[in-house]
Amino acid sequence: MKRFLYVAGLPILLFFGWFVLSNGSENFYAPPLRDILRAFVDTWTPQRLNDDVLPSLLRLLSGYVLAAALGIAVGVAIGLNRRLRATVEPVLEFFRAIPPPVLVPVIMLFAGIGNGMKVIVIVFGCVWPILLNTVEGVRAVDSVQLDTAKAYGVRGFARIRTVILRSASPQIAAGLRQALSIAIILMVISEMFAASNGLGFTIVQFQRSFAIPEMWSGIILLGLLGFALSLLFRLAESWALRWYHGLRDAQRKS
Amino acid sequence: MLEVQGLRKVYSTGGREVEALRDLTFTIDNGDLVCLVGPSGCGKTTLLRCIAGLLTQTSGTVKLDGHEVSGPPPGLAMVFQEYGRSLFPWMTVRDNVSLPLKQKRVPRQRRDELVDQALEAVGLAGTESAHPWQLSGGMQQRVAIARAVAYEPSTLLMDEPFAAVDAQTRADLEDLVRALWQRLKVTVLFITHDIDEAVYLGRRVIMLSSSPTVVQDEITVDLPAERDQLHTRADPRFTELRTHVYEQIQAAKRGRPASIG
Repeated sequence: MKRFLYVAGLPILLFFGWFVLSNGSENFYAPPLRDILRAFVDTWTPQRLNDDVLPSLLRLLSGYVLAAALGIAVGVAIGLNRRLRATVEPVLEFFRAIPPPVLVPVIMLFAGIGNGMKVIVIVFGCVWPILLNTVEGVRAVDSVQLDTAKAYGVRGFARIRTVILRSASPQIAAGLRQALSIAIILMVISEMFAASNGLGFTIVQFQRSFAIPEMWSGIILLGLLGFALSLLFRLAESWALRWYHGLRDAQRKS
Repeated sequence: MLEVQGLRKVYSTGGREVEALRDLTFTIDNGDLVCLVGPSGCGKTTLLRCIAGLLTQTSGTVKLDGHEVSGPPPGLAMVFQEYGRSLFPWMTVRDNVSLPLKQKRVPRQRRDELVDQALEAVGLAGTESAHPWQLSGGMQQRVAIARAVAYEPSTLLMDEPFAAVDAQTRADLEDLVRALWQRLKVTVLFITHDIDEAVYLGRRVIMLSSSPTVVQDEITVDLPAERDQLHTRADPRFTELRTHVYEQIQAAKRGRPASIG
């Protein structure tokens, strides 16, 4: 109970604070929370969720999964090969420094305005933290672990799968966590540029038609969505890395 | 049979050359238990890594059962000093022990048998589903030994395996190594910096000089085959041998052969 209060206390306080303070607001752009909530229920019907939120989530998911596959694969290759690393690392830093939203118009030129463009934008934005963290993680694999694998004939793909990727997995997870929030941002931004459905598109439509409570309700939904995704990620991570947390606890105790 | 012939290793880093091993020649017969002892920094680990095929020597040859070693030989298992880093923390004890067997494509049923037998032999039956970091240091090193045993090697290399465990655990593990050696009839090459341990364990003790390393001296330990911590270490012959090895190591540190008295 006490723990629940610690966790939920501030959100509840903020919610009621907003509710009370905005009650009776005459400002057109900051309507009472009551109106926003009513708009939330009216706006986000199952039909709408299916038409706008689902496509957004699918684009997010495919971009994220592609970026993860690409980032981990290329990261392992670069991490294992010193010469390759020396060659590509400065270039990677350059690409990473480009804010992905500025590329949206360019990507639109050759990928059109369909789903492909949005997925490419998401991949381009969130591949970097995954890639760079994988490189670091692979480089940091313990030399004794590598010697052990070698001495016992663990080589080739088995070496990568059972030793290198597992050993680098805490660092890879850190990259994936950063990438997730980037992916959500890019999902919305890519939909704001050019789209015919999606969460970002819908919110911009509400703004342009001065449907302010609906717009706020979309922003709240976006926040809830990001929160739910990061919660899911945390759950998956603590399950996949339970050996790592156990190891860390054991080391701390000794 | 393990034959090391004229082994030399020179490390070159940034234009500077460091000669770690100068000229090592020795032979270990099948089923023997040989301890290598030398002053700290004498290149023991370099030697072991060359024998294990983890490091390429500058010149000379290493032959295991007649085949020249150019990569990790299949009949050879290794126990590392840093048990905490040589076991994979993301795997359970069972997976750690069976991973090399999986690589050897041992069928599943046989694999499980070997893993159970090996864990039983090192006194760890019942810990299969634990992770290494849930065990004490001594138990972790037992897992590493079980992994080596399950691999069914003809030769077992041990690189200062007990340097990081406490004295009592160490005595138990020494007896474990003797018992396993007698039971499994493997060839064991045991590297240590502890003179007592070398004399207590070995049937032969090879003493190395300080770096650049050559063989300083070699003795046969003529103590009875049945040894135990209490009586063997109190044996006057044990003390004599120990003194001899100690003198040689001291001489090695000063850089010349001792006059044997």
